[in-house]
Amino acid sequence: MKLLGKSLTELKTLVEKKEVSCEEIFEYFSKRVKKYNNGLNAFLTIQENEVKNTLPVAFKDNFCTKDILTTASSKVLDKYIPPYNATVVERLLNTGYFVQGKTNMDAWAHGASTETSDYGNTKNPWDHARYPGGSSGGSAAAVAAYLTPVAIGSDTGGSIRHPSSWCGVVGLKPTYGRVSRYGVIAMGSSLDCPGPMSLFVEDIALIMQAIAGKDSYDATTASIKVPNYFKSLTQPRKLRIGVPEDYFEGVDEQIKKKVDRCIDRLKKMGHEIKKVKLLSPKYAISVYTILQRAEVSSNLARYDGIRYGNDRTYFGEEAKRRIMLGTYVLSHGYYDAYYKNAQTVRTVIIEDFKRVFKDVDIVVGPNTPVTALKIGEFAKYPFFGELMDQLNEPASVAGIPALSVPVGLDKNNLPIGMQIIGNYFDEETILNAAYQIQKETDYFGVTKKNLEKYPD
Amino acid sequence: MDKYQPVIGLEIHVELKTKSKMFCQCNANYFGKEPNTQTCPVCLGLPGALPVPNKKAVEYCQMIGAALNCQLATQSKFDRKHYFYPDLPKGYQISQYDEPFCTKGQIEISEKKIGITRVHMEEDTGKLIHDVEETLIDFNRSGVPLVEIVTEPDFDNAADVKFFLEELQVIIRYLGVSDADMEKGSMRLEPNISLKLKGEKNLPKYKVEVKNINSFNFVKKAVEYEIIRQSQLLEKGKKPEQETRGFNENKGITISQRSKEYAHDYRYFPDPDIPPLEFAGEYLSKRKGKLPELPTQKMARYVKKLGLRQQDAFILTRSKTLADYFDDLCSRLRGKEQQVANTIVNKKIQTNLTVEEFIKEFNSMTRISTVTDEQMKKVVEEVIKKNAKAIKDYTSGKENVLMFLVGQVMRELKGQADAKKIREELQRRLK
Amino acid sequence: MKNKSSLLKKDILHLAKLANLKLSGVEITKYEKQFKQTLDYIDNLDKLKTDKIPTTDHVVNLTNVTFDDGKPNVRGLTQEQALTNTKKKGRGYFVVPKVL
Repeated sequence: MKLLGKSLTELKTLVEKKEVSCEEIFEYFSKRVKKYNNGLNAFLTIQENEVKNTLPVAFKDNFCTKDILTTASSKVLDKYIPPYNATVVERLLNTGYFVQGKTNMDAWAHGASTETSDYGNTKNPWDHARYPGGSSGGSAAAVAAYLTPVAIGSDTGGSIRHPSSWCGVVGLKPTYGRVSRYGVIAMGSSLDCPGPMSLFVEDIALIMQAIAGKDSYDATTASIKVPNYFKSLTQPRKLRIGVPEDYFEGVDEQIKKKVDRCIDRLKKMGHEIKKVKLLSPKYAISVYTILQRAEVSSNLARYDGIRYGNDRTYFGEEAKRRIMLGTYVLSHGYYDAYYKNAQTVRTVIIEDFKRVFKDVDIVVGPNTPVTALKIGEFAKYPFFGELMDQLNEPASVAGIPALSVPVGLDKNNLPIGMQIIGNYFDEETILNAAYQIQKETDYFGVTKKNLEKYPD
Repeated sequence: MDKYQPVIGLEIHVELKTKSKMFCQCNANYFGKEPNTQTCPVCLGLPGALPVPNKKAVEYCQMIGAALNCQLATQSKFDRKHYFYPDLPKGYQISQYDEPFCTKGQIEISEKKIGITRVHMEEDTGKLIHDVEETLIDFNRSGVPLVEIVTEPDFDNAADVKFFLEELQVIIRYLGVSDADMEKGSMRLEPNISLKLKGEKNLPKYKVEVKNINSFNFVKKAVEYEIIRQSQLLEKGKKPEQETRGFNENKGITISQRSKEYAHDYRYFPDPDIPPLEFAGEYLSKRKGKLPELPTQKMARYVKKLGLRQQDAFILTRSKTLADYFDDLCSRLRGKEQQVANTIVNKKIQTNLTVEEFIKEFNSMTRISTVTDEQMKKVVEEVIKKNAKAIKDYTSGKENVLMFLVGQVMRELKGQADAKKIREELQRRLK
Repeated sequence: MKNKSSLLKKDILHLAKLANLKLSGVEITKYEKQFKQTLDYIDNLDKLKTDKIPTTDHVVNLTNVTFDDGKPNVRGLTQEQALTNTKKKGRGYFVVPKVL
């Protein structure tokens, strides 16, 4: 049976129907990983042994996996073996999955390229001379080259959405508080969102069903009931879709073109397209920069090399830079001007979204300002990570859910992603829209195209 | 020496007697356990771990605040306090900064009002053990709930400080929220001491913090030493340095600890992992109402309602166990409270007996309650009349006849009298 | 945000101390420049009117999330587990060079 490019949902069904066994699936993906991972460096750690009757899921290396090396792609943790599982890992292990492997990322999730990893770059499966994006670059690449059917990533300021766009896969940043952060190596405590990445929207729904919901170990998870995400996919709705002008500013023409094409298609499908006015993303960048760095400086204080890991001299340049700036914005005399002020603007951004969501169900726009950059081009952009994530940061700051869906290719055959932003805890509507796009357009042919380059 | 007035404030830490730690379910009782056997990802500060506050610990903190007559906050939160030290696993301590659970309290000591600035919640650190060339760290204590009590600088002498601490200890033990034991480390304290000219309104521009004080007696010594040391400096025209000093028990002096190269910048900010806490006014009133009768109130009741002497009331209220025992006895021996008090204070009956056993002994000791003095004297008269020969023997020198006479009286009174009193009465009559 | 948008070398050294990081001379010079860039950018927040607007410390609208004292401790680690990720241990303790 040809398994290449099959959704996790379908694999699950085939196993239930006994048309294929878990063992065969394990063998299948193991072979592909052996064949392609060296070239891509998507996985840092690979599970060699089969775990009976389970299906594979890959995890970004900032998810604590019991007894399996977890490094956050930093040399500080190069030998760290967690004695416990993150809740997301635990929940998936309890619903028939196993840890296929740990994927590469920007060290400590600091970046939008995966280049700051202490274990080498991950290559973009669409063009090995380019970045996959970040910080969940390894997860995105693994999914894009079908080394795994589903990968879990984390999104703080675009880290799921950004590499999803650059690698032509679907990636969801859930509402903050929808999915437990317990066991996810903390970057920005008020911003981090674990989430799924896949080639199929139904797989996103499948995984969300398993991982979403209140966790007594994470005080910031909401008690709001987890809906049946899968079910709502089968009930396509006609939506009011907001298009914010400000989110198209400074974006590459080819991206704008393909995003517009998708919006036109949505209009033809019967959805209502409305122009909306949202605050320019440039304010969210500042708020995000301040809050994230403050929280990073605090969250990385525990790495003193006493109980685990190496000492602080092992921190890379980006980590040190962020820790220093974070320390600055929290320091005596500067707290009010920076941190407190940022928390105030955060309120403004939240109110802004709340206002717009009174009139629309979702907001769409480009996900990244440019497509995958060539390795080495990083240095050209000042304050690189944040500017790459500029269109993602507003939703991060507000805590609302957002998804990236492939909507076309540029002249260099590089994927383009469209961002779908939804209201608090309304992942259902986002998935509903994304599924309609998937069914109607097959992502304009994007996801399957690259698989030709990665035959079995 | 007389020209200066001491200005003393206290910072006290109390470890709570909860079952679980402050932010995780590890056992909060760490005393005497093998090192690093009571930890989990949370209190060990492992990557990815998150804190969730212990509800009971918060309640206990509010109880302490209420017992100290504080205002209980309707809105509160936890903040991160950053500094690096090997016993602090996260590189920050979860504490409270500008919205503590309790503020603006007051208690009275020796007729002086001592202000309580704040009572807040935080987590304890691990324990360091210094070896010859290394330091060993045990994280069993990391994350244990710690209440911090800060007083206004309202003390002006060492004796009051000691008295306050003793009273505070009794109050906390009354609440049942902590053992507040200095030896076991469940109560720790740091006085800060400075001097101002008598009559000066403003607070001194410096204060000296003293650490490493392990008993109430040592606090008194440390404070007294500091007062002298500082006044000597001031007399020389020098200003005492704002610093932290360590108390040396053996020498009874304070020694300057290496002065910090820079002042701590704790970079407090609200802990994003812990949502804020809100309390309705009604709930807080209920909390105050649920407090047990506190020592001061009990003492007042004993003196006013039961007519006990101040000293006896004080002794009886130093331990809640003892006070409860006394209250229980009194409820069953109405009208005899003063005698019960007397019996206990003068150690006539052991208080480790059960209430029933105590009452039995008490009754047999004080049959006066069922037999009045009048009745007893009457029977003594009768026995004297009936035993003329024995009386003659006694008065002519046979002392042990007295025992026989006491026995006769007792028999008449069916054993319901105090043998001692009978004997005294007989002796009096037969003089 | 009328504060200086450039950090002097002594400020950077002070921050490094607070953050327990050792920086080389090269790094300090580099950071001076990079911080200026970042701080200049984030000054754009001055353009927004924010008086009387409350801060958002938490995006989720939760309060009073606590756990019940005495709940079974399912996450407890054995001594071995606690010490497993370091070589600097002995007699059940974590070991560091003597702290004054």
